[in-house]
Amino acid sequence: MTKKMLLMLAILMLGATALSAQTPGQPAATTNWVPVGACIGMALAAGLCGLGQGKAVASAVEGMARNPGAAKPIQLAMLIGLAFIESLALYEIVIVFKLT
Amino acid sequence: MLESEIWVTRLFNDYLAGAANAALKLAGLQAQARPWTNSMAMQIFVAALLMLVFAVLRLRLSVDKPGKLQHVFELVYEFVLGQAEDQVGHVAHKYLAFFGTIFLFILACNLIGIIPCFSCPTKDYAVTCGCALATFAYYHWNGILENGWRYPLQFMGPMWWLAWLMFPIEIISHLARVLSLTVRLYANMFAGEQVTIVFLGLVPLAVPVIFMGLHVFVSVIQAYIFMLLAMAYVGGAIAHEH
Repeated sequence: MTKKMLLMLAILMLGATALSAQTPGQPAATTNWVPVGACIGMALAAGLCGLGQGKAVASAVEGMARNPGAAKPIQLAMLIGLAFIESLALYEIVIVFKLT
Repeated sequence: MLESEIWVTRLFNDYLAGAANAALKLAGLQAQARPWTNSMAMQIFVAALLMLVFAVLRLRLSVDKPGKLQHVFELVYEFVLGQAEDQVGHVAHKYLAFFGTIFLFILACNLIGIIPCFSCPTKDYAVTCGCALATFAYYHWNGILENGWRYPLQFMGPMWWLAWLMFPIEIISHLARVLSLTVRLYANMFAGEQVTIVFLGLVPLAVPVIFMGLHVFVSVIQAYIFMLLAMAYVGGAIAHEH
């Protein structure tokens, strides 16, 4: 296991010198980090929103399975909860659209 | 990103530019050539449309032979009254006018954006901020009317020796309510339209309909949630201290 990791590390280090090769005389290329940050932020927001909504739907479906007569109020509460969780991810999408 | 004028805004700019410039000068801003924006013109258009519908409804109200429009609005009334009584209690009928109006106005604003020749007013944060500030003013005003000078006491928290900590926290949380009402509605409408536009660019046929359908669903839910939160805030504001 450690031999494999050492081998991978060695290959990565050898590759790094090749990958960072540039034609001489150019100034160091500056990456614009704003879209990268926006994308990472949106990905985090969407992923965590997915987790939260999954938990909400799971509890709602379990409640409906235990008590089918209360399905309508449970469905209503689930929809309201989903909309609130969704809006947290949507705050992030607003930032993405404003930044890019 | 400047948006082009739709026909409603063009009509407003052609005939009512003077009124808008007078309002801008009152606010200390510079008069412009075409002052009306899409969202401002569409807001007034939606309000006028709703007033027209209510005028027609009022003329056709009947106890013996209710028509279809009356049935629809009786459903809406029962729905809003039921929700308000859950949140506010027995006195809900006093606040029903505001709740019903905010629900129908935001619902109409959200849905009219889907019709091709119209623009959605609530995808502009200024419009949603206006709705949120109106709700803020309404629930504080009613809280003061109901509780009198005791109204700020509810910001002090459960125990008197925590009041120095609770008061700033409560003020920030009440301001955050305005912000969250604004951004929730704005983000949902803006993002819904942007997603539809993106998919229209990718696959012009059939696929954007799914996203437009989702946008319709989200529009209705967001109008309902705005009304629900307004009711919850009014309920919290008029609650009597024990």
